[in-house]
Amino acid sequence: MAAESQQYSSGGAISIRNVTKVYDPDGVNVLAVDNCSLDIAPGEFCVVVGPSGCGKTTLLNAIAGFHDISSGEIHLDGKLLCRAGLTPEPGADRIVVFQNGALFPWYTVLQNVTYGPEVQGRTKNEAKGAAMSLLSEFGLADIADHYPGELSSGMRRRVEIARALINDPRVLLLDEPFRAMDALTKGVVHEFLLQAYDRVKKTVFFITHDLEEALFLGTKVVIMTTRPAKVKTVINVDFPRPRSFRLRSSQRYLELKEMVFDAVHEEAAKAFAAGERELA
Amino acid sequence: MATINWKKLRKAVFSKTVYRGTASIAVLLALWELGRWLRMPILGAAPAPSEVIFLLREIVFAPDFWENWSASFKRVLTGFVAAQIIGIPLGLAMAINRVARDTAFPVLEIMRPIPPLAWVPASIIFWPTTESSIAFVIFLGAFFTVVLNVLGGARDIDVRYLRAARSLGSRPQDIFFKIVLPATLPSIFTGMAVGMGITWEVVVAAEMIAGKSGLGYLTWSSYVGGNYPLIVIGMISIGIAGYVSSSLIRLTGKLAAPWQRLF
Repeated sequence: MAAESQQYSSGGAISIRNVTKVYDPDGVNVLAVDNCSLDIAPGEFCVVVGPSGCGKTTLLNAIAGFHDISSGEIHLDGKLLCRAGLTPEPGADRIVVFQNGALFPWYTVLQNVTYGPEVQGRTKNEAKGAAMSLLSEFGLADIADHYPGELSSGMRRRVEIARALINDPRVLLLDEPFRAMDALTKGVVHEFLLQAYDRVKKTVFFITHDLEEALFLGTKVVIMTTRPAKVKTVINVDFPRPRSFRLRSSQRYLELKEMVFDAVHEEAAKAFAAGERELA
Repeated sequence: MATINWKKLRKAVFSKTVYRGTASIAVLLALWELGRWLRMPILGAAPAPSEVIFLLREIVFAPDFWENWSASFKRVLTGFVAAQIIGIPLGLAMAINRVARDTAFPVLEIMRPIPPLAWVPASIIFWPTTESSIAFVIFLGAFFTVVLNVLGGARDIDVRYLRAARSLGSRPQDIFFKIVLPATLPSIFTGMAVGMGITWEVVVAAEMIAGKSGLGYLTWSSYVGGNYPLIVIGMISIGIAGYVSSSLIRLTGKLAAPWQRLF
């Protein structure tokens, strides 16, 4: 078998059915997600957009298996992941890239990337070989022996995406991964993610509150309402791939942007008004 | 990494910080010396630096002076190592296991405020030999600091790392050995460095009362015998011994956690 390039499996259909999540801190019920339904096809790049604190991350955490849900069901390729009363289990078939990054600072880039394969039972040498070929495929081989603390935020995010992909997950869950990055860095990391996506064609569940980012990256853009989160609109973004940054100045892009802006602005205004009420 | 950067070293040695530090020590010594000759209150009662240095010139060649050093070092090492062997696993166990935490925490918190000095009589009664009771008092000095640092460090691990690890398919033992342990390592070394400092504070108390040798014993017996310059030499020796041991631990910590220097 050719060892140069990793083979990627297919699959990754996510079905979210009537999911509700109620938080209960200090006996006060907070409805975070309200009767939310969404279907994501295998290999689809789904971007979920909504105002800050709307419950997007709650949904992602439920898919990841970090917490349970109050009612409804989530399936991955027909397998039940999440249901009320079921303690969910995270797994390497759904890997999360976190908002602030979660590369292990005590491991080098290479050790971070080999971590997944090693704990899943592959030998050190196998893991190392696979990691090195993936890192060179992504142009990251030069920094293999660096610690994350020595890298820029853009570089760290690239490594983290590589660390996820080496496990051949069915779904990649990204929780506002490029938040707090400057526009230039963001542009570069976007291109990196798109290249990686075009290569592996994994299902992507990407959360953001940046509309431009959503339109540029996604195939399906899901706009959520303000808390409690449910699906407000789904927009199919049919720009061909591979996409380049020039897309952002095309007529069709600007039209879509206007449409999405209107939908989101309405929700943001509601969220703002609700905040005002809470303060009053 | 291990090569010496001479330019940087020279810059560090001949820096303003070093000049100021040297000057302040020099002024202190001068005032102290002057105070002695002018028979100033308080300062005048202490042996002058010149007397101390005069005695030091003889004493560095006396073998029993160095035996006191090695006796104290042995005791400190025994108590300190015992505190690590028991304290680090206990701290980790309390961090990852709620039952262990709930059970051990109240007992620790009751014992912790008791000064090691207050343990001296009890430990003389409990332990069969003088050496073991001294080592026990030293052990107590380091033990609580170690446990609390390890516990705090392990409990402070960012949940992102734990979630990322679980998401990547970790088993519980992977979480412990590959996440909790390395993430806690810097706190373990902080606990060690602080604990080491406390053991040297405690060794004096322990040796004053129960010892027949050691730097603490040297200091106390010099007082009883009226050899005042020797008191100062004993005090400074303990200071240097503590500084050297803590520096060694910090150095080991830096080597064991190379990623720490980046933050």
